Amino acid sequence: MTALALHGLVKRFDQKVAVAGLDLDVPTGSFFGLLGPNGAGKTTTLSMAVGLLRPDQGTAEVLGHDVWVDPVRAKALLGVMPDGVRLFDRLDGAELLAYTGMLRGMDRAVVDQRAKELLDVLALADAGRTLVIDYSAGMKKKIALACALLHAPRLLVLDEPFEAVDPVSGSLIRDILQRYVQGGGTVIFSSHVMEVVERLCSHVAIMADGRIRTVGPLEQVTGGRELEDVFVEVVGGRIATGEELQWL
Amino acid sequence: MAVSLFARLKLRVLRNGFRGKPARVVMFVLSLFFGVWFGGGGCLALIASMQPAYPELTALVPAFAGALLVLGWLFGPLLWFGVDETLTPAKFALLPIPRRTLIGGLLTAALIGVPVAATLLATAGLVVGTAIGYGVLPALVSALGVVVGLLMCVALSRSVTSAFANLLGSRRVRDLAAIGLALLAALLGPAQIFGISALSRADFSRLERFADILGWTPLAAPWSASVSAAHGDYLAAIGKIGIGAVTTALLLWWWSATIERAMLGATDASGPRRAAGSAAPVARLFGRLRWIPATAEGTMVVREARYWWRDTRRRANLITFAVLGVFLPVLVNLGSSPAGLVGDDADFQALPDNPAIHTATMVFVGVLGAIAMANQFGFDGTAYALHLATGVPGRREVRSRIIGYSVYIVPLIVVISILVTVLAGKPSEVPARIGTLLGAYGVSLAACVLVSVYGAYALPETSNPFAVNTGGGLAKSLLALVAMIGSVALSSPLILAAALTGKLWTWLALPVGLAYGLGAVWLGVTIGGDAVDRRGPELLVAVTPRG
Repeated sequence: MTALALHGLVKRFDQKVAVAGLDLDVPTGSFFGLLGPNGAGKTTTLSMAVGLLRPDQGTAEVLGHDVWVDPVRAKALLGVMPDGVRLFDRLDGAELLAYTGMLRGMDRAVVDQRAKELLDVLALADAGRTLVIDYSAGMKKKIALACALLHAPRLLVLDEPFEAVDPVSGSLIRDILQRYVQGGGTVIFSSHVMEVVERLCSHVAIMADGRIRTVGPLEQVTGGRELEDVFVEVVGGRIATGEELQWL
Repeated sequence: MAVSLFARLKLRVLRNGFRGKPARVVMFVLSLFFGVWFGGGGCLALIASMQPAYPELTALVPAFAGALLVLGWLFGPLLWFGVDETLTPAKFALLPIPRRTLIGGLLTAALIGVPVAATLLATAGLVVGTAIGYGVLPALVSALGVVVGLLMCVALSRSVTSAFANLLGSRRVRDLAAIGLALLAALLGPAQIFGISALSRADFSRLERFADILGWTPLAAPWSASVSAAHGDYLAAIGKIGIGAVTTALLLWWWSATIERAMLGATDASGPRRAAGSAAPVARLFGRLRWIPATAEGTMVVREARYWWRDTRRRANLITFAVLGVFLPVLVNLGSSPAGLVGDDADFQALPDNPAIHTATMVFVGVLGAIAMANQFGFDGTAYALHLATGVPGRREVRSRIIGYSVYIVPLIVVISILVTVLAGKPSEVPARIGTLLGAYGVSLAACVLVSVYGAYALPETSNPFAVNTGGGLAKSLLALVAMIGSVALSSPLILAAALTGKLWTWLALPVGLAYGLGAVWLGVTIGGDAVDRRGPELLVAVTPRG
């Protein structure tokens, strides 16, 4: 059973092809890392997978429900944390969580209880009535993650969850995600921090220029080497200087 | 040398801004057109004012026009046009540029632009007029004054906006400033009417004395120098130009003092941490609106209502409507009766007794009430992604937004209706007014909902409340105008009914208006909601600001 199945996804922006016929199967219960250099199409791919961006071609299925044909069922199973997207940031943390929960039609008592628990665990309870717009970048990531987790989805799609997060919050987020996967959930997240992916993931995919270049279980992809070496080899590009920069 | 580099940089940035953005080119051509229009008009007026045949114009026009120009340069950027952020001082913070070079360069760059060209074109009328009317030497003095005046205007607007930017360190202060300015802008219309009526009753010789004094203040000195020179008083002319030059120097010095802090950028001091109450999260979100049912849709209504107050841009819109909505009907309906507000114009006196006119103003106010909804998705920006990712049904999306906004507007409409009828001494007309207003408001809501779905555009996500969108936003904001005209047209049956049924309308208006408005809203929710279902992702793209 695949938690997320992407088939033949294509997206063009004006002249540029951002995603060029992408196929990807994320197994249920996996902790899946999507790697790629800047501009590889990671965000575009994930946006199409969760129904935020309409693909030019191809399909995206969440646990057997097509996101674009049967969005209601698919989106109920999904928890999403997009990158570079604003939150309803004129609410404070508790209000935002209450809003997200009620929006999904959850029971009021459950929303209250889970929201309080999440705020405590993520150390956001101290922020009190501070509006989310006045949160630091790391706090914004944490409240966005809490919003994605609130309805206990079966699949979590996270875009750059570790960017701009301090080491302590980073560890906390890792712990939460690991526990979530142990409980039977599936996570796919994008990143370009190799260490995090190497430590967390059971599966990885490396994409460049809108295509998946390598995909599989972590050990199979690395084959005993460092993930960073594999990444550089797959993506290509220059990593050392030659004769230039003598004056430096 | 370094200064010309700044000028070339500005030109290059402007040119690259046009690349692949036809909407921006269209806006630029439009602004050029308006620049030539106003600049040319001002130029002709000033040429005429400097002719020896019209001494009374010579005494008044250059001084008042100059003062208006300075005030325009002072308030224009703050209220309407926003600050041109092409070359902000912060972008030069890391480069080792001496302060003097930086100021010179930024001033040169600021001199490149349509407003400066239009100002120069207009004030050149003084030089031409002086040359035609009084000869070469006065014209030369006048030219010097015009150049100094132009520099003074630019230095003024730059230094004030720079100082303002420093003031606006925290988001809270910025929000307050934006709302204050919105209030000021909304009050400008009424103030203008009072000003004109005051002017029409003013004494001419007193005005002349006032213009004379104004000519010796920095507000009008550089341009008033032309008048002095024309009268052969060269000493006074040079003195006035000196006043302008000294003012310019002082402003530049002030600018250079504030620029250092502006270079560091507005630091986003995180707001004060406020302790959490013990209330449960959902109860806290609902707050005083706890009478709204705690369903998914009710929660959306509450969030929307909260946002109309907490989001600065939205609150500014609310305030603008509150001011206009009260003033417009008061001015039109009361005419000259209580305090002679509008003077003794015969037309105005004829108006109040005509029920169709009453209805028409009510229709207009009602239509105006919903205009703030025309780019409702733009206010939220990419935050709309949450609704899209959750799969909120389109009709619920639209309906909750309409209800959330109406929480403010409907009570306001009722208050306006009562206020106007009581002031006019016709309390029996209250139901008719409310009915008409609600009917027009409903029609306008429906039109604005459709515009908000099909014509959504991104608002800049900057923290600067004065930054404007230079992209295609302006073109799309014209759609709101189309919605307004369409709504007035669609509400015209109400005006017609008022004219035809006469006295009977007093009793018919409330039920008929209510039904008409609710019917329109139902139609808008159905059509607009289904459009949201179909175009959700496209809507998100439309409201996403680009780099």
